Amino acid sequence: MSFEPKILGILCNWCSYSGADLAGTSRKKYPANIRIVRVMCSGRVDPVFILKALQSGADGVLILGCHPGDCHYTSGNYKALRRMEMLKKLAEQMGIEDDRIRLDWVAASEGDRFAEIIKDMTEKIKQLGPFPRDGGDNG
Amino acid sequence: MDEVRIGVYICDCGTNIAATVDTKKVTEFAQGLDSVVVARNYKYMCSDPGQNLIKDDIKEKKLNRVVVAACSPRMHEPTFRRAVQDAGINKYYFQMANIREQCSWVHENKEMATEKAKALVEAAVRRVAYHESLQTREVPVNPNVLVVGGGIAGIQAALEIADGGKKVYLVEKDPSIGGHMAMFDKTFPTLDCAACILTPKMTTVGQHPNIDLLSYSEVEEVSGFVGNFKAKIKRKARYVDETKCTGCGECTKVCPVHVDNEFDMGLSQRSAAYIQSAYAVPNKAVIDKKGVSPCRVACPAGVNAHAYIALISQGKFKEALEVVRKSIPLAGVVGRVCYHPCETECERATVDEGLMIRDLKRFVADYEMKIGREKAGPVEITKDDRVAVIGSGPAGLACAFDLIKNGYRVTVFEKAEKAGGLMRYGIPNFKLPENIVDNEIECIQEMGVEIKTGSEINDIPDLFNKGYKAVFLATGAGKNKELGIPGEENDNVFPALDFLKKINSGEKIAVGNKVVIIGGGNIAVEAARVAWRLGANDVTIVYKKSEAEIPASDSEVEEAEQEGIKFKYDTTADEIVVRDGKVTGVKCVSEAKGQKSDQFVIDADNVINAVGQAVEKTELSKELAFTDLGYLEVDPVTLETNVSGVFAGGEVVAGQLDVIASVAAGKAGAESIDRYLSGNDMREGRFEQMPRVTKVNKDKVKTKTRVVMSKLETSKRNDNFDEVELGFDESLAIEEAKRCLNCAVCSECMLCVKACEAEAIVHDVKEQTLEVEVGSIIVATGMKQFDPEVMYTYGYNRFDDVLTGLEFERLSNASGPTDGVVVKKNGEKPKSVAILHCVGSRDENYHKYCSRVCCMYSLKYAHLLKEKLPEADVYQLYIDMRCAGSGYEEFYLRLQEEGVNFIRGRGAEITNTAETPEEKDKLIVHCEDTLIRKKRRLPVDMVILSCALEPSDGAEQIGRVLSISKKADGFFLEKHPKLDPVSTMTDGIFIAGCCQGPKDIPDTVAQASAAAARALAMISNNKVEIDGATSEIIEELCSGCRICNNLCPYSAITFNETKKVSEINPVLCKGCGVCVSACPSDAITGNHFTNKQIMAEIEGVLA
Repeated sequence: MSFEPKILGILCNWCSYSGADLAGTSRKKYPANIRIVRVMCSGRVDPVFILKALQSGADGVLILGCHPGDCHYTSGNYKALRRMEMLKKLAEQMGIEDDRIRLDWVAASEGDRFAEIIKDMTEKIKQLGPFPRDGGDNG
Repeated sequence: MDEVRIGVYICDCGTNIAATVDTKKVTEFAQGLDSVVVARNYKYMCSDPGQNLIKDDIKEKKLNRVVVAACSPRMHEPTFRRAVQDAGINKYYFQMANIREQCSWVHENKEMATEKAKALVEAAVRRVAYHESLQTREVPVNPNVLVVGGGIAGIQAALEIADGGKKVYLVEKDPSIGGHMAMFDKTFPTLDCAACILTPKMTTVGQHPNIDLLSYSEVEEVSGFVGNFKAKIKRKARYVDETKCTGCGECTKVCPVHVDNEFDMGLSQRSAAYIQSAYAVPNKAVIDKKGVSPCRVACPAGVNAHAYIALISQGKFKEALEVVRKSIPLAGVVGRVCYHPCETECERATVDEGLMIRDLKRFVADYEMKIGREKAGPVEITKDDRVAVIGSGPAGLACAFDLIKNGYRVTVFEKAEKAGGLMRYGIPNFKLPENIVDNEIECIQEMGVEIKTGSEINDIPDLFNKGYKAVFLATGAGKNKELGIPGEENDNVFPALDFLKKINSGEKIAVGNKVVIIGGGNIAVEAARVAWRLGANDVTIVYKKSEAEIPASDSEVEEAEQEGIKFKYDTTADEIVVRDGKVTGVKCVSEAKGQKSDQFVIDADNVINAVGQAVEKTELSKELAFTDLGYLEVDPVTLETNVSGVFAGGEVVAGQLDVIASVAAGKAGAESIDRYLSGNDMREGRFEQMPRVTKVNKDKVKTKTRVVMSKLETSKRNDNFDEVELGFDESLAIEEAKRCLNCAVCSECMLCVKACEAEAIVHDVKEQTLEVEVGSIIVATGMKQFDPEVMYTYGYNRFDDVLTGLEFERLSNASGPTDGVVVKKNGEKPKSVAILHCVGSRDENYHKYCSRVCCMYSLKYAHLLKEKLPEADVYQLYIDMRCAGSGYEEFYLRLQEEGVNFIRGRGAEITNTAETPEEKDKLIVHCEDTLIRKKRRLPVDMVILSCALEPSDGAEQIGRVLSISKKADGFFLEKHPKLDPVSTMTDGIFIAGCCQGPKDIPDTVAQASAAAARALAMISNNKVEIDGATSEIIEELCSGCRICNNLCPYSAITFNETKKVSEINPVLCKGCGVCVSACPSDAITGNHFTNKQIMAEIEGVLA
């Protein structure tokens, strides 16, 4: 059987979760590998969540927030952006491939875009293969 | 903690979920999860029986947690929360798994979808185990409502609420309410006159005791939450006191500035002081001021160039000169010799050529001399103090002029025989005739300035002894610098300043045939041109640097070249060759691009030294400090010298200066002396930069280069000192002035102030901010018309008679630019008109959506055309006719009977290239008539583009301010497209009218009333419930690091100095959780989104 990755999506309530709902309402199809957890704002995302997810079985983690300037809480997405940049540097040191962690923006009206991002991310994670954990070859 | 007992309910949603997710398997799976007491599957969980299943289980099976796997929590979370609450457990002991929108509807593989649904259920089950009981709070609702936008939607909503007895703040960005509907001629399909049905409503708004109408205002900031918003409203400066303005319109008549009238879609012009329309509410004037025009900002002496240009354009020459004389006494002089920094900054230069601003100033001065100057009346002396000005050049005269206008008694001392300084003795008559200088000095004398010529002052203390309280030194830099090369002491070497002074005083000087001038300033070039006029026909200017670096003005160099003066650039004079006591030449070396030439000699009979000016140290200046460069030392701001009460400015301080810079120095001196004598602060607020207008709209400016000023022919110049530039006549001046773009719109000419009997005009007000508190907000920011210029093929703005819908609306309107007569740009009546539907709508390249109203308004246009021009052929080019609405289809049928030609096919292109005699001088509309399957060419006189509706320009900004989302098409996103089209995702903020999507007037009015009803419902409820999911700080864990303090976008976190911990104000917290993830001590709990809950969910979803 081909590798079916598990991807965790953490989505902000106002833009991205609505965008994901809109993809559903408009019946846009995308791979079932994405599992979504809702938070109120992408600024709530603690980098620890991402590392925890990778440890708990995720092969990739996707954080989605409102487009810069459109944050329901004014500026939470900028905080998310800064934290993600920091985490990505750290992840690189730990040997985690860049594509496994992604931050992007999806507006409430962007059902299409949401579906495209999921397709793209799933494809990339499939190419990377399973995330090595639990005493795997990364020791 | 009590034992966790969870019930899980899996919804089929008919087949919506069950078709793709095996709900039975999911239910079985759920049954096996930890703490799950019961798991059930039902067809419609949201139905009453479905909800009752949950309620019964809670009671019978003692459940204390509930999970429903169904649709999106954004859909039914409130429903199920109510259900569990009804059954007696806290509503936060509930979690939803979204297996419809984010699972069954988006996946096709049933097995994978089922696996995913299981994961989502497990995540919810693990999460809900950690849920905690939370309390919602009730807060009172402020009964005031803010309505944003004063079009028909805003008007309707405001009136509904105000009639309901509640207070409304209605904010409109334009000077008047009415929006687009006020611009319409008739409304479809009833053909009511739009104004007739709208203006009564507008008037009622204006007079309603419950409506606070804030026109010409914009919402800048909104804080708070449902029931309790605080809005900051920017009240743009109207420059008219609304309480005094009577709407008489006198200011609009005298205003000299004319710009495109937005209300008429640019088909007419309005003045800078204007009233938006004949039925404006409020009926108050407004002055359109966008800052300060660049020409005015650029003038060192602060001359309001924009104002005098505007006045000239209206033939108000006398008023124009008055504007110049408000700032400077030397219009005629400066109008000739200024280096015009204003023209360098002129925005018109970016279109074609900057205006001839200097020459226009000269024109008004010449015009006054031509018609005869009225004697200037003496200025009233209001101050006791007397001031002495030493030197009567431009700096001295400008200083004296400003001082006497301020009420000081001023005496100017001049050691020469006549007043004027370098203006009289330095600038040759062919550039600045003496009578111009005479006239302007006379004028200053008539105002009351005493000028004592032939009067050399050598002792400043003596002036103070004689009763003068302050002194302004403007003695210039009259000493010629030395060349410092052998031979310069020869009699045939003239210092330029002496040379020019003698010539201007009427002395005869003989020059030889060959003259060399050394130097590169204006004085050098002037001296050369004088020498040529005296008979020298081989005149050479030797300048040490390159052509690009020459300090003389471009026009001066150009004139000199035309007169045959030669320029030797990059050339240094080493020696003046003298043979037998006579000058024979100048020994030079040239050095270009690093290549030094051998010495060569330029033959010369005379040499003029124009290398520069210096200040002569005399008795007068014995107590004064000098700089290392040999100029008087003054404070750069106040111009005060080291001696108290003695100020200095102009060339004595700065070396060689342009006239306008000297004038500016004189004015600064006058300002300092006034402050000094009045005991005011010498520095405060000086040299504040005027706010230059930042954006000038040049889109529709048609190219037109400068007018040409006539000049004395070169052949007629060489034996006289007649003026070379001959000035403008009146029509030429007006023509040139009309090229002005009116950058700042209002020029501050102040004619309106004089015209307003009610004294309502206040030019120096600033915008203000008003803060209001409201419980709900209705957004009704409307739409704007799609700009068809981007569709090149339709030729909008390329062809004269291609109009947009709104332009036709104004053209057809009885109060429009043509009083309702439909005419082409050339004034002729069109014999044939084509109306093109779907311009920008239903078009992949622009907007995919249908704008809903275009079919109907196009039919209306056809009817109006048939009514006004019964003989005209009218064509409708449509894709589909969409006439859904009360009486709409009937109207379509009626138009078919009225003889309108309907062609099914989108307009492809509009051209003007005739192929047959019938097509001559016509616009040709190319299309395919899809009903007869033929390509057609329709020759017509006029084309109307039925343009799409887009969100208004302000929508983006207001969306951000209010944190409301927009759809892909840019219109505001409603909470639910079907069941809640008036709410937004933000509680307490409603939307109405075209800001939510294109719609006609009846739908707009209905939606506005609905939004008003929602606001009123909130008010009558008196309170709203606030989510308990806010964040809190656990005092014992907080280290007081204060990282969270600045993160909170709502300033809900403050630092308690006594306890040394941070605290969250639960009323301000909106629960975003930014602080939670930032806290290094894990001291902040994001209720209902705790770390434990989220972690459990993550682990569950990945298990």
